[in-house]
Amino acid sequence: MDIKVPRLAEGVDSATVANILVSEGATIERDQVILELETEKAVGPIPAPGAGKVTKIHVKSGDQVQVGQVLISVAAEGAPGEVKKDEPVRAPVKSSAAPVAPAPVAEIAITSGAEAHRYESRSGFPPPAAPSVRKMAQELGIDLARVRGSEGGGRITLQDLKTYIAALQGAAAAPAPSRETVPQAAAKGVDFSKWGPVEKKRMSALRRTVAERMVESWTTIPHITQMDETDITNLLALMKKYGPRFEKKGTHLTFTPLAMKAAVAALKKYPIFNSSFDEATGEIVYKRYYHLGVAVDTDAGLIVPVVHDVDQKTIFSLSLELNTLVDRTRQRKVSLEELQGGTFSISNQGGIGGGHFTPIVNKPEVAVLGLGRAALKPVVKDKKTETRMMLPLALSYDHRVIDGANAVRFVRELAQALENFSENELKE
Amino acid sequence: MEPIKAEIVVVGAGPGGYVAAFYAADKGKKVVLVERDKRLGGVCLNAGCIPSKALLHATELIREAEASQARGIGFGAPKIQLDKLRAWKDSVLDKLGQGLNGLSQKRGVQVLQGRGHFEDSQTLRVETSEGQKFVAFEKAIIAVGSRPAMPAAFDLGNPRVMTSTEALELEEIPKNLLVVGGGYIGMELGTVYAALGSSVAMVEALSSTLVGVDSDLVRPVMRFAEKAFKEIRLNTKVVKMATGGKQIKVTLAVDGKQTEESYDRVLVSVGRAPNCKDLGLENTKVALDDKGFVQVNAQRQTADPNIYAIGDVAGGALLAHKASKEAKIAVEAIAGEASSFDGVVIPAVVFTDPEVAWCGLTEAEAKKKGIKIEVARFSWAASGRALTLDRTDGLTKLIIEPETERVLGVGIVGHGAGELIGEGVLAVQMGATARDIAESVHPHPTLSETLMECAEAFYGTSPHTAPRRRA
Repeated sequence: MDIKVPRLAEGVDSATVANILVSEGATIERDQVILELETEKAVGPIPAPGAGKVTKIHVKSGDQVQVGQVLISVAAEGAPGEVKKDEPVRAPVKSSAAPVAPAPVAEIAITSGAEAHRYESRSGFPPPAAPSVRKMAQELGIDLARVRGSEGGGRITLQDLKTYIAALQGAAAAPAPSRETVPQAAAKGVDFSKWGPVEKKRMSALRRTVAERMVESWTTIPHITQMDETDITNLLALMKKYGPRFEKKGTHLTFTPLAMKAAVAALKKYPIFNSSFDEATGEIVYKRYYHLGVAVDTDAGLIVPVVHDVDQKTIFSLSLELNTLVDRTRQRKVSLEELQGGTFSISNQGGIGGGHFTPIVNKPEVAVLGLGRAALKPVVKDKKTETRMMLPLALSYDHRVIDGANAVRFVRELAQALENFSENELKE
Repeated sequence: MEPIKAEIVVVGAGPGGYVAAFYAADKGKKVVLVERDKRLGGVCLNAGCIPSKALLHATELIREAEASQARGIGFGAPKIQLDKLRAWKDSVLDKLGQGLNGLSQKRGVQVLQGRGHFEDSQTLRVETSEGQKFVAFEKAIIAVGSRPAMPAAFDLGNPRVMTSTEALELEEIPKNLLVVGGGYIGMELGTVYAALGSSVAMVEALSSTLVGVDSDLVRPVMRFAEKAFKEIRLNTKVVKMATGGKQIKVTLAVDGKQTEESYDRVLVSVGRAPNCKDLGLENTKVALDDKGFVQVNAQRQTADPNIYAIGDVAGGALLAHKASKEAKIAVEAIAGEASSFDGVVIPAVVFTDPEVAWCGLTEAEAKKKGIKIEVARFSWAASGRALTLDRTDGLTKLIIEPETERVLGVGIVGHGAGELIGEGVLAVQMGATARDIAESVHPHPTLSETLMECAEAFYGTSPHTAPRRRA
């Protein structure tokens, strides 16, 4: 029996092997979790479809795998009939803390139901179907291996495909408590060309992902944005002083790493901002690590790579890491792993301009800091008016977890940290 | 100068390139088609499929007339007017080339004649006779094909050493012709020259001709070639060539022993190489594989997201119809449609005498990969139609998946096998079972019956073969 990569979610045909939880020669039981796969959408356990002994592990941790690829070979043990050869591996049902959306329920219902089917050819050929049927399945994103063929040799007819789709729809329509809100069906097509010339462009996969995430965050998280300003006149002077030193050592000193450091100081003081809300269990998960997401504006759309262990890094090494990470993100070269595990995010729009704005929380995080462009403003200090460089701060947070008073405290803490930034942090 | 704007620029106008350009135009895209040569159509039309088949058809008549003698109808010795034969062949190419021009115009595909060179992932420079032109493109499809490989040791700069391109020009009928390489090009062109009266010797470095083709399909071709050619020498290497007056001196080696022989002309047919050079690919993110072909994914997209590659230059089977299919896949992918080369059945035909054709899984491949199969064979000696054609030197076979009886592959050798394989492709692509073929009535008396009888033979019920022995 070969355990293969199951179909994980709509539009997801590859995954990264996160953890292998068994070793060759080990005896496993039915439903025992044998490894974990990580996709852009979820980290999910792969349960064993039957009992047996692991004869070979074909992959290693970190491998990129495709749907249908063999992960582990298992020799059946125990009473015959206990392990059915053709039984499909079930798609991961439960997601761990990191994932945003669980695998579509339709896939699960079909694969775990009595109708579960997966075509396997000893010759390694794809399931038999006319090219017209194959094309239609491709357009609909349906894996023909899951469709039961009614004709000779298991050939799949158009009717078989329709029957399968009907079953999928039935499963999708069934109530599913764990199902997250799905994006509403798009508004009925409006013919805009009635009023003038238009150009139509297909939404890229990334754009669609961004759209789904935003809808998900926006509809499930009650957002509040706390606004403030901080005086960074002194900090800018420090940057001017240390910029050339950083340059000499091979990297630019930008504002974002400084903001990250200040944010970590505030996160340490107010750990609730570094938490996640587990909707399934109703628990608040406090994280003892500080991985900060940084919003990067790429040609294709918004991507938020994550810098790990910000608290343990110097500003120099943060600068170095962040600059290459941003470059690689713009070139779309970051791995999935580098997009995951964030505990708090920063969106710095200062480079482009703009003042206060209302960033959207990057779920499953609970807060996000938006930075605008600093500007010279008159500030009254000791009854005297001075011009100071003032930076707009905007903190959006999940009001299910965090209350307004805490948000003000957090922002004030952050503002102070930036205002009184210690020069020692910049020295190596 | 304003660059020409194109949604899709196609570089190369062979059976990959022009199909891509036309299909994209049919989908409403603004397309520019760039072709180095004056005539569209690429190698297929100009120096491959079409001219070779024209010559094979013309020369087949010589053999038919000869064979006719034994059936009581005799003709005199053939009179060959080489100029007229060449002119007829060229007229076919002109007609097809003009047809492509007309089709381009009707679709509003802008054709630029000149060499294409990538400046970057969005700009193509074209060296036309009117000077440089620039095409600013959104997507590019590379379809520049391949050329006959000519090892440096054989490249004497002497027109007597030919590749298939020159051989198809039909400059003269050499008295003695050496064909180096027993692949399908060597076999086909050797057959043409032998019919025209050349004494043809063939040398092949490996232990058989048509390497990779199932041996039972090659056997009838070898029987023919052994008669038509002066000799076929296997396991023989060409060490070097040199000009020797009006001949080519060729040094051959068998088991380390060298001999020197002289031939009026030599045809070098030792494979084909991709035309990746001088394209400016280094200015893009396009990556090549270790054999120099462009690396592509199932959508024929290269490592550069803006650039696709199809046909010979993308490697795999170097066949015109494979290029045309890839053209459609690439255009569909660019148009944002779901499309993939995975699972596409590509047939292959060798236009020897008799023809060899196959599709899907071959017996040799199954053996190599350890795939369990059953093979059903039907010899044309039992076909009424083959007998009336006096061509019983044929064999039809089905490669069948035992558990499902699904037809995974079809192989045919025999007169007109290239036409017959179409049904095989349909069967494999449709996922037909042997039962499907056996139950479909085929017209009598035709060679197509051999497919039905072959399927019936699998069930032990072919009326024209001995019943299958039950185990």
